[in-house]
Order: sequence, then structure tokens, then C-alpha cells
Amino acid sequence: MSETSPGAPFAARARGALKDAYLQEALGIATTKFIGLRRESFEDFPQGDALRDRARAIKEATLQQLDRHLERLADNIERLGGRVHWAATGEEARDIILRLCRDKGVRMAVKSKSMATEEIELNEALEHAGVKPVETDLGEYIIQLAHEKPSHIIAPAIHKTKGQVADLFSQELGGHFEADPEVLTKVARVELRQKFLEADMGITGANFAVAETGTVVLVTNEGNGRMVTSLPRIHVAVMGMEKVIPSMTDLMVFLAILARSATGQKLSSYTTLVRGPRQPGEMEGPEEFHLILMDNGRTRQIAGTLREALYCLRCGACLNVCPVYRQIGGHAYGHTYPGPIGILLTAMLKGAPSVKELAHASSLCGACKDVCPVRIDIPRMLVELRERLDTEKIAPWTERLLFGMARRIMMRPSWFRRGASVARLAQKPFVRHGRLRALPLFFGKWTATRDLPAVAEKTFSERWRELRRP
Amino acid sequence: MTTRAAFLDDIRREMAKTRGLFEASTSPRPAAPQEAAEAVRREMLERWPQALERFREEFERVAGVFHRAPSLEAVPALIGEIARERQAKRILSWSPEALGVDLGARLGGEGFVVTSAPDADPPESERARHREEAAAAEIGVTGADWALGETGTLILVSGRGRPRSTSLLPATHVAVFGAPQLLESLEQVGLMLEALHADPSATMSGAVINFITGPSRTADIELTLTRGVHGPKDVHAVFVEGR
Repeated sequence: MSETSPGAPFAARARGALKDAYLQEALGIATTKFIGLRRESFEDFPQGDALRDRARAIKEATLQQLDRHLERLADNIERLGGRVHWAATGEEARDIILRLCRDKGVRMAVKSKSMATEEIELNEALEHAGVKPVETDLGEYIIQLAHEKPSHIIAPAIHKTKGQVADLFSQELGGHFEADPEVLTKVARVELRQKFLEADMGITGANFAVAETGTVVLVTNEGNGRMVTSLPRIHVAVMGMEKVIPSMTDLMVFLAILARSATGQKLSSYTTLVRGPRQPGEMEGPEEFHLILMDNGRTRQIAGTLREALYCLRCGACLNVCPVYRQIGGHAYGHTYPGPIGILLTAMLKGAPSVKELAHASSLCGACKDVCPVRIDIPRMLVELRERLDTEKIAPWTERLLFGMARRIMMRPSWFRRGASVARLAQKPFVRHGRLRALPLFFGKWTATRDLPAVAEKTFSERWRELRRP
Repeated sequence: MTTRAAFLDDIRREMAKTRGLFEASTSPRPAAPQEAAEAVRREMLERWPQALERFREEFERVAGVFHRAPSLEAVPALIGEIARERQAKRILSWSPEALGVDLGARLGGEGFVVTSAPDADPPESERARHREEAAAAEIGVTGADWALGETGTLILVSGRGRPRSTSLLPATHVAVFGAPQLLESLEQVGLMLEALHADPSATMSGAVINFITGPSRTADIELTLTRGVHGPKDVHAVFVEGR
């Protein structure tokens, strides 16, 4: 397992992941498969590119009038008999749910997959308060039984083998189960069906919320989102406030590209539109509906450098194509949101200092931007984040000193020329076959994992001067 | 606790600081959604056969099973056949009015236990009983408000006589629809939903709309595709001719 302790420095966590042979294989297979499925689904969908532009424009336009859309959403939900709660922080969001549990005598809550509740570490808080949280997405259920964290936004358990899952189920649920996905899925179905019927509260996230109609939208493949919103007597949806969109017409634009980007499906198996609690005449559905609108660091970025990250649909496409994620997987990032977008979201929620290492965990190749359904310019924001880490003196002093010197040298041609001759001399003891393979001091960090071409016998400008001589 | 006013004030304060944003607009919405929806319905009177063909193709691609019934009269027998194939006895159905056909009257005598949702507002005591029956049922029979060709999707609006779980709890779901339900694009669905919400009292009583695209599925263990994790393992669509 790649479970280097989460408190360890990023480099140590990444090294751990790189040494984990199984993780390496699983990541390679999973991310490659997702990339292929996504590509195929967009190939026979010529309007895809135009829809992505539309989706991006809708997100931006919504942000420009975010206050109005949120008011409209809240008014509509309250008109339908639901309650809207406003949480400035993750802690406040947790407290609202805990208070609801206490007031309504909730002992067990079933959950459908939600990054927002991962973000606020809701399960730990519920357990602490004596409420049993049960994750019902199969991947999340596995992760919960194993006391681990999700390693991919849409495939939380891709780091586990079927053998490991079989052992886990056998041990936790009592019995002996074959290492066959079909069998194991059936075991989970029976186990969780009972939980759906017994639970007092259903907790979900929200992929979207439609302001004009007061509708919360959940996209799932397993149907657990439907169970959780149909069977328990209370439904609580937790949502980052940026998930609001104006209308049903807008929703269709997003639905057309979301599943294609995530899993290559035209639509996921279930898209569930929920408006408030059970309405008169309905046989089923919760008596109470609560929507928690959560800020938790998002508002700061409305006028901040990470504004565009507020467009994110949480599809996971940028994880699959990222050369760094593909090597180290989600756990090594050490936070709720992994991958390229995860670095930006972590900076948004926890502040720039929390990603001083992660901001560099990107080759800036731009693959993430290419696949993003709303074309978020992740590389640009990573560069800006690195710049901030430097100007705000969060980056290590050695790094700042070194690059500050390099900058000064490069800005002055005479210094640069002189620098070249100094480097030519200084490098002498370390050059092997025209390359620098190992350097002393902190320069060694560079050569530990890659070679550096030696400074040439003659630089370009020196040769240029010679060539021009008649 | 943060109040609505304080929460929104924070947002407004930050919004006032933004500079140099690019011009962007949301999707233009129909000015008269009811008329726009009516126009789509008229267009589809001509084009539904193509939409049906596309629906069948896409629905089968997501592992759905497609059937044609010559008339509503033939539907109970077809459902009886599907149930017998699965050796299923317990059938749960939308109310006769919502479904358009009374399965209990036709299949009850053939050894099936048929439970139909009531058309009237359910009394409290009925809820618990219906839930038990729904949890025990093997086949769930519903109508569909729309069938979308582009993606092979069945769209169901919950409400009186149309419980949400009929298409969810039983291992097999059968949806019955006809030509007037066929749509070709998500864009058209958007129009229909705009119209539905513009005048909800006319057509809609429930709180939930489900888009169902094939059976319940997961690939969470080693990316192996497995069907029927929480919802139905099999989904059938029955197209009724001449409706």
C-alpha cells in the first residue's frame, strides 16, 4: 500500500506511491481506460466543442450574478417546503448537520458520493456525535470499511484489488466471499439495501442546483443517489455555492458533456432532479428537505486568482490525463481533492501555504486544460500560485535566493556571458559525456532524478560572433 | 450561525472587486415555454419514427431490452412473459390511471401478485405497507413521460400514483411509453422541462424527475462493469403502437 503517513512531506508520499507496484499498475490501467472512453465519446459528438464553450460561458455568467442566482434558488426551495442553510465555513456546515441529527433523533445516515462532505470531513464528525454514517457508493463503501480516503474523484477505490476487497468484506461483514466483482457487488447490494430502508437521514452532495426551479441535481450510475433521496425521512444536500446554475435549459448543456468527460457515457445511468421534500399526493420521499449552501473559502476567490476553479464540475477528467497523477495517484496529494484541479481547490479551501509543495507537482503540460469540459486554465493558475508563493515568501528561502540570482543574471547580457564562462569552469569536475549527472549541495536535488546538459564549450553567442567574422 | 444576508453580503463585496471579466451569457430561455413545447410536439408528430429507431439503438447500447406491443391491450401479457422468464411473482406498478392499463385486473388471475399504487392521496398507514411491498417486488412497471432518442434515456416524473421507487427497488424495471413521448435531443428535453416548471400544477405533482439511462451499474472494483448494484439489473422499454 502507498499509505505513507498523510502528514509526511509530499516528496515522501510521492516516493511511497512510486514504489507501490500494484498502485502503479492499477493507476496506469484505470487512467488509460478513462482517457480512451472520454476520447471515443467526444469523437462521435461534433457539437461537443461548442457545448463546452457554452458551458464555460454559463459558469462565468452565473458567477457574475452569483448573489441573485443563490437568492432565487433559496426562495424557490423554501416555496416548495424545503429549508436552506447558509454555511460560511466547513465547520458551520458540519454543525448544521449535527444539530439536525440531534433534533430529529437520527441514528443512522446513508450517504451518496459527495466531494463536498469529504471536504468537511463529515463522517468523522457524525461518528463522534454517535450517528452512524454509511457510504453507499460501492467505491466509497469499500473505502469506508477500509478506513481509507478516496484516491480518485469518480473512482474512489481504483487503488484496491478485488482480492483486497474480498478480504475486507469477509472480515468486516462476516463470511467468506470470492474475489469476483460480480459476487462482491451483490454482497454490497444486500448489505446496503437494508441500510437504505433503516436510515433516518439521507445525505447527498449536488452536481448542480437550478435556481429558476429550486432543483438539486444528482448524477450517479449505481442508483444510490435515488435511494438516499427517496427512502429516509430527511434529505440533506450539501453543496458548494458555486454549483448553482440558472435554468433547465442550462442544465441540459452540462448534462451533455459531464458524463462524457467523466466516464465516456452519453449520460450516467441516473440523473435525479429533486425539488424539495415529498409533495402532496406522493407515496414516497422525505418529509424534510435541507440544502446547505457552503462557502468555505470559495467567496474569497470570486475576485481572486483562482476564480476559474469555481467553474469545476468535479468530473475527474484532468486527473486521468495528468502525468503526475498517473504516477502517484490521489493519496499522495494528501488532501480531499487530488490531481491538477485538486491543487487549486486545496489552495482555495485551505490557503496558498497548504500547497507550497503541490504547486510544483505539475509539468505544466496543459493536458488538463485540453480535456476540461469547461476549459479551466489550470496551468495558468498553477503558475500564478507559484508566483504568489514566491512573492509572499512562502517558498523555501534557498529556492527564492537561487531563482532570484538566476533572474538577475538572465536580465543582464554581460552578466549572462560572464556566468557562462564561470559555469564552464565550475562544472568541470562533474561533466561526464557532456552531461551533468550528479551535483553537490541543493543543486543535487535536480540531478537526483534527471541529467542536466553541460554548458557547451562555446555558447551560441560566442559562436555567432566567430561566424560573422569575415 | 451565518445568516442569508451576511452570506450574500460577503459575496457581493467580492463581486464588486472583480475587474476585466469576459462577457458571458447564460442560455437563452424560451419566452413562451408552453408554446415552444407545443411546437416540439407538433414537429415530433412527423419525426417520431426516426427518434424511436435512435432510442432503440441507444437503449440497447446501454444494455436495455426493447419491446414493441401492438396495443395497450397487449401490454399485460408481455409483462407476464417478462416476469415468467425471470420466475418472478411479485409485480409492482404505477396506478392504472398513470400507467394507462390495469395490470392487477389482467395478471392477478395468472398467479402473479400485483400491487398498484393508489391514484388518491395515500393515507399515512399506506406508506409503510407500500414500502414493504416495493422492497419485496421483483418487477416494477412504470410509464415514461419522455423517451429520449439521443441517449436512450427514459424520463419519469414522480407524483400521485407514480411512486419514485417503482423504477428503483425491483431488480427488473419495465417502462411503457408511446409515440407522443418520443424526443430526439437533450435540448428538446430542456424545453419540456421549462414548460413543465412554468406551469407545474397542470402536469406535475411530485418532487422528483429521474433520467434513467440503462440499468444500475458500477465499475468500482477493478473497473469491471457490473450491473444492478443498487437499482435494477434489467431495464425494459415497451413501445406501444398507435398511442
